[in-house]
Parts: sequence; structure tokens; C-alpha cells
Amino acid sequence: MSEPPSASAVDSPTTTDSAAATEPDRDSSTDTAAERPIDGPPALVVDGVSKRFGSGEGSVLAVDDVSLTVERGSIVGLLGPNGAGKTTLIKCALGVVLPDTGSVRVFGVDIGGSGHRAAYANVDAMLEGARNDYWRLTVRENLRYFATIRGIDPDSVADRHDRLLERLELVDKADTAVRDLSRGMKQKVSLASVLAGGAELVFLDEPTLGLDVESSRTLRRELRRLAVEEGLTIVVSSHDMAVIEDVCDRVVMMADGRIVADDTVSALLSGADRDAVRVTSPDIDDDVLAALRDRFEVRSVAVEGDRTSVEVAAAGDDLYALMDALRAAGVTIGDVRTVQPDLEEVFVDVTGMEVDVSQGVDDGGRSS
Amino acid sequence: MSREVEAGGEVDVKRELDSAEEPRPATYYHLARAVLYREYLIFVRYPANAIGGIVVSLFFFGVLFYGGQLLAGQALADSLEGIIAGYFLWTLSVGAYSSVSNDIGSEVQWGTLERHVTTPFGFAPVALLKGVAKVVRTFLTSAVVLAVMLLLTGTRLSLDPITVVSVAGLAIVSVLGLGFAAGGVTVLYKRIGNWLNLLQFGFIVLISAPVFELPWTRFLPLAHGSALLQRAMVDGVRLWEFGPADLALLVGVAVGYLLGGYLVFHYATRRARRLGVLGDY
Repeated sequence: MSEPPSASAVDSPTTTDSAAATEPDRDSSTDTAAERPIDGPPALVVDGVSKRFGSGEGSVLAVDDVSLTVERGSIVGLLGPNGAGKTTLIKCALGVVLPDTGSVRVFGVDIGGSGHRAAYANVDAMLEGARNDYWRLTVRENLRYFATIRGIDPDSVADRHDRLLERLELVDKADTAVRDLSRGMKQKVSLASVLAGGAELVFLDEPTLGLDVESSRTLRRELRRLAVEEGLTIVVSSHDMAVIEDVCDRVVMMADGRIVADDTVSALLSGADRDAVRVTSPDIDDDVLAALRDRFEVRSVAVEGDRTSVEVAAAGDDLYALMDALRAAGVTIGDVRTVQPDLEEVFVDVTGMEVDVSQGVDDGGRSS
Repeated sequence: MSREVEAGGEVDVKRELDSAEEPRPATYYHLARAVLYREYLIFVRYPANAIGGIVVSLFFFGVLFYGGQLLAGQALADSLEGIIAGYFLWTLSVGAYSSVSNDIGSEVQWGTLERHVTTPFGFAPVALLKGVAKVVRTFLTSAVVLAVMLLLTGTRLSLDPITVVSVAGLAIVSVLGLGFAAGGVTVLYKRIGNWLNLLQFGFIVLISAPVFELPWTRFLPLAHGSALLQRAMVDGVRLWEFGPADLALLVGVAVGYLLGGYLVFHYATRRARRLGVLGDY
């Protein structure tokens, strides 16, 4: 009996790292992919990909000469406002959209070349807005069907499917038709059906959309476990900054079809020019505030009872200068705290755009 | 920021299980089993759909039969066997065509089409197996319609299973090709499925095409197959009693239209990928 082309998802054993499995945290997770034995080419290489929809004046340049490499076993967050080109880039990587220029290689195989079927065995996606599975089939039937479609004999991974259902808290619903499940559960089934086929590179577009807090935590935990224990490479596109900040080793920010930032989460946060301190004191009056505004960037002022809190952008030497200025003004400091920027602030700084959490999908881009 | 992972002992147990379980590649046998089993599950789990199709088919036949008796009387009785054989083939054709084209439209809507287009098996075998599954299902429902028609009218037809299944099966393979082509157009232009369903009424013309007076019509879908099925069911001709040229033409038309339909579908999906509309609905 003949078989479809298979790639390493079928043949290679999963990689586990007991040290990493015990208690990884985000800071150490940036090293996880580096510590894990990495054989062969990167999970994903996007090389100079551009995609324009339409022609003439009404055309839209959705992806503009994007190059990107994703190492095996890493979790990369893809951030960008609506129309940034994230979904188009993901679809190009899947081979669902053919780029105008450039190439995409999945585990070294050109997704647009003659060996694309082998690449397909190793990549799958959960696209936002799509059911991704059959609602008339039960949860388990979906897992078995899509494992087969992705080139895996479902009998050989039956135990793995059981564990997947267990981890995603779907065991009790395993034999329930998907149509009878809640929206959050359907979202989890969609993820499970993507993971059921053993793809080693998965794209998740808004994976936590519609999930309650607990389900979102479960999903994040599972994503980390899959990357750390099983070497799964995950690209997550989400408007939920907390998800990105929590699970991703690295963040790629897109705007107008281009990559505008690409670094680890911690590097983006520490490199952002957003460090500030918040000083609270009963001695901060209008004169003190005016003096501070003359010399520093005062971001906010809040008065609560007889105490005034002022947030001042200050790091390094500025921080010493601020303290000197407060002492010279006779201010007795009641409380002082450093204010760390979050990913959303970094995102706004980098892209100059606000995040619209109510929107999920971007398909557009920059008009020519 | 904290993250939770399983305790080390639990991880060890999982690792043991993982090492004992090596994923095996699926073969085309597994693919066929999965596609046919899915079709079976939908069929048995949602019988109302299948029963609805049978009831509608019988209703139209009832209108045709009793209305025809009122209007044409003996003339209808003389040609009743041919009408039943033709109606049987029409229900088969409509079932195969609409199930394939509607199925592709539904897959587009559900976001599952991409997962079939990007399967390591390649889309062709998956699509073909899905088509076979639809044909098997359609044969079952049309057999019920045929049985009721024969009981209702008290008519007797020659029903050699090998001959009927072979000839009717090959006849509707050409319709499968039309279904794939319609599905491809749906992928590109989305919500035009209802318009494409109108094509099924054109099947009546093809089934009743005057192949003896206009021999070129034998090259159209269904026409030659319909003529052979009439001879098989009405005149009792067995499969091996047909001439080689007749059988070759039956196979040729089936393969030709299936291949043509698949090429249209392939071109349409490739164009949809180029335009970035594959899966958009």
C-alpha cells in the first residue's frame, strides 16, 4: 500500500527536555529552543515574500518583502493591527495563498515547490473565523479524521489523542458532536484537531478568542507544554497581548505589511523607552509639578486625598536627577515604584497604532 | 509571570507512553476508510437529510406518474419502464452532482477545504474518495426510490446488480466531473451554489437525449450511459452483452468528464490561492 509523502512529523520522535519540563518560566523559555537539540533546517523560513491583492489603484499590498526565520521548538507571537498582513503571511506560509514574490520553506521544504506535499505533512493551522472541523462529527471522530488527512494512521496515535483531550479538558465531551458544544469548547476542539495530525509547525490565529479565563489559561499552559516537551513550533497571532506575553519566546510585530520589530519579549520590554517611576507624596503641589514638567516628561498625575502621585519617564541618570529635584523641592517621598511598560505599550510605540481587541482578522493591508 | 506545568513524575509517565507509541504514516487505505466512514456517520446520524431527499424524489415521481396518467393515459403506461429507468438515473445524477458541488461549498464555508487542499496526500485522491463516498450514498437512497417506484406502479424491470451498478455508476461519474467543476467555480465565486444547482434540471435533457437520431449526443454526460441503462433495465441486456465500443465510450465519457471537471477544480483552486480567496466566504 502506498503512502503519501511524509516529513519529520511522522518519522522523528518527539523531543523532551526534563529540565525544561519541570518548571520553565518565560525568561528561561527564551533559551528553550536554543537548549534543545536542533537538527536540520529551521521550522519556517520566509524569504522576501510579498503579496498584493487586486491590481491598479485599488490594489492592496498585504505583505511587503517580509523575511522571517522561526527556529524549531520556539513559540513566536505575530502582532499587528488589522490590515497589518498577519493572516496573509500565515496563509502564504501554509500554501493557501500563493505569494507574488519570495519563497516559504517549512523544515527546509519549499511550500510552493514540487515537494510541497511533504511540507504539508508538517504544518497545520487554526485560522480565526473558521470552524476548522466538522460539527456533525464527535470530538474524537474529528481528531481521527484530521489525523488521517494530515497523513497519520489514527490508530497509532489513539493514546496521544486521549492525552490531548485530557489536557484540553475535553475528555467528557470526546463522544459528543461538536455542534452541541459551547463556543469555547468548539475553539478547543479546533485546536485539538490541528494538533491531532502531528504537524510540527502550527499556526494559531486568535486561539483564545471566545475562551473564558480558565480555558484560556489551560490553552496557554498546553501551548507551552507542547513547545517545551514535544518540540512543537508555534506561531501565534493574537490581539490578546497577555497571551503573547505569556507564551511567546519572541514577538514579530507587523504594520503595513512589513515587520517593524522582531525580538524576544524581554528584549522588547527592556528596550522600550517607556521606563518610568511613580512617586507619591503629600508634598507634591502645583509648583513642584511645574518644576518637574520643566525638566522631565511627566506622564500622569493623580490626586487621591492629600496625596499626589506623579508618573515621570525616568531611567538611568534621569532617575538620579529626578530624586535630586524632589529633594531640592523638599518633597518627602511616601512611595516610589518603577513602572514597567507592557507589551501593548511597546506595540503602540513601535507601530504607532492602537490595538483593537474587538477585531480578530486582518486580510487587508496598505493601498497602493 | 508564572506558568504552570505538570509535575515531573507525571511527565515521566507521559514520556514512557510517548516512547511506546510511534505515529505511523497513514496509507491511502486509511484515507479511504476515513473519508467513507465520515460519510457513513453523517448518513446514519442525520437520516432526516437522506429521508428528505427520498421523499422529495418520490413526491416528484408521484406527480409525474399520476399526473401523466391523467393526461396521457395509455401512452404513459407504454413508456413507463423507460420513465422509471430514466428517473432512477436522474435521482442518481442529482444526488451525485449536488452532493459533490454542495460539499465543496460547505467545506469552503466551514474552513475545512484548506485542510483538504493542503493534505500530504494531495487533493486529488481526497476529492475522488469523497466523490466515491457520495456516489455510494446516492446509490443507496436511489435504490429505495427505485424500489418504491416499482411497487407503486407495479412495473417489472431487469435489475441485474452488476449491470445496473456498473452502467449507472459509470454514467454518473461524468456528473461527478460536472460537480467538481461547479465546486471549483464555487470556490472562486462563492455564493453561486444555488444557481449551479439549476444545472441538475439539465440532466433531464441529457438523460433523454436522442442518441440514435443525433449520435454526437453520446459524447455528452449521461446521454450514452442513459441509453445503455435503458437497454439493461428495460430490455434485460447484461453488461457483457454490450458491444466493446459501447462500453469503451461509456468509460471514455466518464473518465473524460471526471478529468475535465477535476482540471477545472484544480485551476479554480489554484487561481483562488493566487487571488487569496481560497476559504474566504
